[in-house]
Amino acid sequence: MRREGSPFTGLSTVALKEAADHMTSARMHLAMLLVLLTAIGAIYGAIGQIKNTVGQDPFLFLRLFTTARDPLPSFVSFLGFLLPLLAIALAFDAINGEYSRRTMSRILAQPIYRDGLLAGKFLGGLIVLTICLVTLWLLVTGLGILTLGLPPSGEEVLRGIGFLLCCIAYSGVWLAVALLFSTVFRSPATSALAALSLWLLFTVFWSMLAPLIASAAAPVDQFDPMSVVTNAELQQGIARASPFTLFGEMTLGLLHPATRALGLIFFGQLQGAVMGAPLPFSQSALLVWPQFAGLIAAMIVVFTIAYVVFQRQEIRA
Amino acid sequence: MRSACGIVAACSLLGALALADVACAQEPTPIPPHETRIVGLWLTTDYPVLSEPMGKDVKLSLALENKQLPPVRVALSVKGLPDGWEWKFTGDNRPVGAAIVDSDSSVKLGLDLTPPKGAEAKTYGFMIIGKSEGRVLELPVSLSLTAAEPASVTIEPKLPALRGTPKSTFDYQVTVRNEGAEEQLFNLLAQSPPGFQVVFKEQYGSQELTSLPVKAGESKDLKVSVTPANDAAAGQYPVMMQVVSPESSAQTQLVLDITGQAKLALAGPDGRLSGEATAGKEKTFTFAIGNTGTAPAQGVKMSANAPSGWKVDFAPAMIDVIQPDQKVDVAATMTPSDKAIAGDYVVTVRANGDGASDNAAFRITVLTSTLWGVAGLGVIGAAVIVLAVAVTRYGRR
Repeated sequence: MRREGSPFTGLSTVALKEAADHMTSARMHLAMLLVLLTAIGAIYGAIGQIKNTVGQDPFLFLRLFTTARDPLPSFVSFLGFLLPLLAIALAFDAINGEYSRRTMSRILAQPIYRDGLLAGKFLGGLIVLTICLVTLWLLVTGLGILTLGLPPSGEEVLRGIGFLLCCIAYSGVWLAVALLFSTVFRSPATSALAALSLWLLFTVFWSMLAPLIASAAAPVDQFDPMSVVTNAELQQGIARASPFTLFGEMTLGLLHPATRALGLIFFGQLQGAVMGAPLPFSQSALLVWPQFAGLIAAMIVVFTIAYVVFQRQEIRA
Repeated sequence: MRSACGIVAACSLLGALALADVACAQEPTPIPPHETRIVGLWLTTDYPVLSEPMGKDVKLSLALENKQLPPVRVALSVKGLPDGWEWKFTGDNRPVGAAIVDSDSSVKLGLDLTPPKGAEAKTYGFMIIGKSEGRVLELPVSLSLTAAEPASVTIEPKLPALRGTPKSTFDYQVTVRNEGAEEQLFNLLAQSPPGFQVVFKEQYGSQELTSLPVKAGESKDLKVSVTPANDAAAGQYPVMMQVVSPESSAQTQLVLDITGQAKLALAGPDGRLSGEATAGKEKTFTFAIGNTGTAPAQGVKMSANAPSGWKVDFAPAMIDVIQPDQKVDVAATMTPSDKAIAGDYVVTVRANGDGASDNAAFRITVLTSTLWGVAGLGVIGAAVIVLAVAVTRYGRR
């Protein structure tokens, strides 16, 4: 039987309802509180450090995001670590939670396709994440203006917005991953554990695994310089499979304007180069665009897999 | 009196004899034959016959001597001078009219003579007379007035013509010789083309001089440093140097032979030394080479020191001649290496002429191609297509 109409009927209804539910849930509040506290701690440390050490810097505001003071890591590293956690917290029981509450058949009894339900759940999570991140970004910027006593320049605002978009894309990937696990596994605990182990793998262990895999696949030959290059390139390629690496490279490119390249650089390319000169924003954006595009594509692909899995599931009342 | 004189001469020393000859005015005194000491009163002078230049006061030094006699008062006067001459005796720099000489002592006296304005150049004879009680001392003097020797000075540069660039300092060694009879103080003057600086210095020293004292018959060396105007065109420039004293002056000409110098100035497009270029794509910048020097710049070659893998071409690559104050545009076509990373690179652009060169560090912001940006969009598009296919295949359940 051929069904009629758009597959995404009722998408906005589901998305808004989902977002509203998240906004009021205790889980979300706890996760957000954790992010907020760490973020404020990191920024506070950064401001102290900036006041102490940095005399003149055309990109003082960007330093706010990237400066770390012992024992606290920088704001950017906090986000790289905690954003996946926030996204997983939002979506690890998105689908299997409906099953366990036995509400799935009720929802699908409404004139809503499964397409709309899954996409709505994903979009709802993304809306909440976006709201949180924008709030956090504004909070940090405001804190910066208040304590540093100077407004950010146009270039800094552009770079800040670019950074915000990167954060959204990064957490979007993890949202899609959590959604996939909640679709694949029937038990919310299993899906949460699966998502968390993937998170641990990528954020903590991947940087250790990448050199191992690379040297196994392309061993370094002492007498062949090209093998070193092949090894380094392979290692970087493997490392870039992790969204954590991509996020790190993006923040490096955007928040450190002097970053000119993210990959392997040969000495010949540096001949005559002026070190430490900041790149124009357009060039920095061009530099991190592949990473950003990769994250967006990964998000869509993971969502598509979740979609296919969900569509093929048998749902009983 | 004459006989007494002879007696004294007979029994005196040779020196006493000479003295007695000059001032033959003394009292005959009985002397024991065994005594050889001279006794008497004399009025003497060192040079009884002398000559002096005209137009100046004449000073004579006199001495009044008393040997073995009691103190005597001597009144002084001059006899035999033509009308218009003024005379004056001095003692201890004061005018005096008489002097008292103790026994066995002498008094130094001076006689100032002022010839009248129109005194003739000839020999004048006169008598200096000292009168005391019963004695008259007479001292004949012969004074010749000679025509005054004119004060004169010469200056002689050792090397009167020097050659150099507008940047160099021209040092001339000049000898100033005072050929007059007296010491003179010379003012040092110079006339130079506008913008030229002339400084007089000691020969071995850095002190600048404005005047120079030179003793009669002596000479002094001094250094004349001439700094030409910065923008002096090639050519010969005379500098008149003068030494002037109230009595005399002399001048000489020093010549500066300035050879021109080319000076290149390289300027970037619109005066800026930065530009943008895309990696792997050629971009043309217009450089301007000016000659700010004073001579034409010959054979100016353009070259660039660029990072490896870059291509830099100049059109024209060689300029035959750039006249002073002329500007020539050169199109520099730069192609950054396609491996160049985004950001700033420095390319050193050089203009080398004969004896003149200039270089400029040109900063190029390399932009990377947006091709990869499109590729990223393609990746996202592919993902969306996969989603769309999934939706059409499994959608609407």
